[in-house]
Amino acid sequence: MNEKTQIQDIDRSLYDFRFDEDEGDFLDNGITPEIISEISDEKNDPDWMREFRQRSLEIYRRTPMVKWGASIEGLDVDNIVTYIRPKTRMNTDWEDVPENIKETFERLGIPQAERESLAGVGAQYDSELVYHNVREEVAQSGVVYTDLESAMHDPKYAEIIKSHFMKLVPPTDHKFAALHGAVWSGGSFVYVPKNVRLDIPLQSYFRLNAKGAGQFEHTLIILEEGSYLHFIEGCSAPKYYEAGLHAGCVELYVGKGASLRYSTIENWSKNMYNLNTKRALVEEGGKIEWVSGSFGSHVSYLYPMSILNGENASAEFTGITFAGEGQDLDTGAKIVHNAPNTSSYMNTKSLSKSGGKSTFRSSVVVNQNAEGSKSSVNCESLMLDSISRSDTVPSIVVKTDKCDVGHEAKIGRISDEAIFYLTSRGLSEEEARALIVRGFADNVSKELPLEYAVEMNNLIGLEMHGSVG
Amino acid sequence: MENTKLNILPVPTFGSLGVNFVRRDIEEYETNNKLLDIDNNTLIREDITGSSDYKINVKNNADAIVVQYVKVDGKALVDTQIKAEAGTRLKLVQIFDGSVQTVSRLNATLEDNASLELVLLVLGGNDTVCETVAALDGRCSSFKADIGYTLGSGDNLDINLIADHNGRKTDSQILVNGVLDGNASKTFKGTIDFKNGSAGSKGAEQENVLVLDEKAVNKTVPVILCAEEDVEGSHGATIGRIDDKQAFYMRSRGFDEQKLYELLARARLKQVIGAIGERQTESRIYKALDWGDYDEQE
Repeated sequence: MNEKTQIQDIDRSLYDFRFDEDEGDFLDNGITPEIISEISDEKNDPDWMREFRQRSLEIYRRTPMVKWGASIEGLDVDNIVTYIRPKTRMNTDWEDVPENIKETFERLGIPQAERESLAGVGAQYDSELVYHNVREEVAQSGVVYTDLESAMHDPKYAEIIKSHFMKLVPPTDHKFAALHGAVWSGGSFVYVPKNVRLDIPLQSYFRLNAKGAGQFEHTLIILEEGSYLHFIEGCSAPKYYEAGLHAGCVELYVGKGASLRYSTIENWSKNMYNLNTKRALVEEGGKIEWVSGSFGSHVSYLYPMSILNGENASAEFTGITFAGEGQDLDTGAKIVHNAPNTSSYMNTKSLSKSGGKSTFRSSVVVNQNAEGSKSSVNCESLMLDSISRSDTVPSIVVKTDKCDVGHEAKIGRISDEAIFYLTSRGLSEEEARALIVRGFADNVSKELPLEYAVEMNNLIGLEMHGSVG
Repeated sequence: MENTKLNILPVPTFGSLGVNFVRRDIEEYETNNKLLDIDNNTLIREDITGSSDYKINVKNNADAIVVQYVKVDGKALVDTQIKAEAGTRLKLVQIFDGSVQTVSRLNATLEDNASLELVLLVLGGNDTVCETVAALDGRCSSFKADIGYTLGSGDNLDINLIADHNGRKTDSQILVNGVLDGNASKTFKGTIDFKNGSAGSKGAEQENVLVLDEKAVNKTVPVILCAEEDVEGSHGATIGRIDDKQAFYMRSRGFDEQKLYELLARARLKQVIGAIGERQTESRIYKALDWGDYDEQE
């Protein structure tokens, strides 16, 4: 009888260290108009934002919970701390960051990555950004990379923020978008001027350290015509017994002929509810590329959406989801073709093991005005034991005749033919199976920046004894 | 049963897509009960002109064909329950010929080595709702569905097909070919559900939709649910028109565009009609489609 290949659980020791928080910095649990006002006071919100938060709270209260997807019964939003006062103001010099926060990010390799391969870095610790820096030559090219609150108070950007903030993801979108509108805090604002191409990436890293807390950062990126940006987002938290909540929001505006690559490695702890919303609006000839690795959290709802709003706009989504014990990860993507000759490509992989559940959920909508558009969706799932689950729930809605939409999905185990071929080339059966399992995730890892690809390979540790399946 | 929820997607998805269920008022339907006990190789043709409730029991290694030809003027509910005992084979042909408002619910239970082949053809119809649940309970039981539809202006079709793989080494194959013209609207939801314990099972589904008018709306939701490691499942869908290269080739052979798509539409339906394998019914469908004399063409 074949011994099964053991796929190790994700090694979380890197992420599970923590420093105790002073609970005096926490605002009260729950979501009330008073707490929202307190957040506005802490942040010195302009009047429009104060009203926006209170309006979002009203929408939150009257919006029902979603009726599909993973169970979020274990999440008691009224017991989540929505805001934690920062121990430090935002710094641009790493040496000014408080010692324990600095140590947290140093263990995660953030400053090292900045020195070696990034054009700029932002680091958020609980509710606020504690560090933001951008290379001088990048700043000189007109690129703005700062925290959203500073931008909102800067006369140069205040109007841009007001005219773009939660316009792509309105608070009416769903219950947790409304919650985000009410309690958002932290996050980044990136502006890339016309025809400026950033060859090295910017990165924001989000760390939720406090127990029983939520993180609600807002990322707003605007790319002007002909520009290029690679933005990397990393997320982690230590494990507590109390449920944590991440309900961030990402809004991306990709201008005419511009191109944005948005990479995420999400490795929240297994007590986190990751209910994040990401959306991109792509103008004529523009391109959005999403690269997404979902490894952590107890429950995830994550479907980055691309709205192809200009002729010849395009979207690509490459994703991998690894659901282990106690995890229910509902991930995928949404694409709306809303202009002629737009194109989209979705390619995802998922692995389930040790009772974990992964669900691939997608929607492709081709509107009547999207003549000549093309879309291709490809998803593959690998079940590594019989106590886990893997579901695929794609939807395709087509409202025009002149389009070409294709979809393919597979669930299965390693085929005997593939093993036979590889063994005929000189590999042992064990080596052949190891190669195939590693290769399964390869098309995603090669899309990641090198340091993240290495991290992903470390996350998926394989012990090859015997066979998969 | 006012406003009954029908065609419920086993795993609901984004509500804004409008695919999770449909609602129909089926309270007012009057139903005739009919019991078909089949224990030999036989062919049964049933003309259905109003609401009906069929119970079909297939026994004794029978290999049978049952044809349900549904053509109703008003509202109708057609319920069909099939119990296929071990080793039996049943081909069920369901034709919905341009009905005003029809709801069809088909539930089949298959024992060891039993097989059900469903040929479902929808020829227009203002409002047709078809739900099929095939429970592959028995070891090595199999379910094959050949589905075709041709819908024009004012037609609306919602199909929900579920293959529940409960037994070991079960097999399901679902092939859907359809043509949408005018402002026709169609939703196809196909679910292959590998339950825990269905080791060695295989399931595949494929839908090909030819869209001939910019006002037509197509919704396709091909679902695979998997709680078993040792299974193979796949689904695919192609929607739209043929690509430019194929169209160019056909034009270079002398076909104008309209003729080309007429031929393609006919070819898709012919593939499904051919799966019926019963001359009289096929001939009747040719007449319903205005395709001329069946014998001359065959």
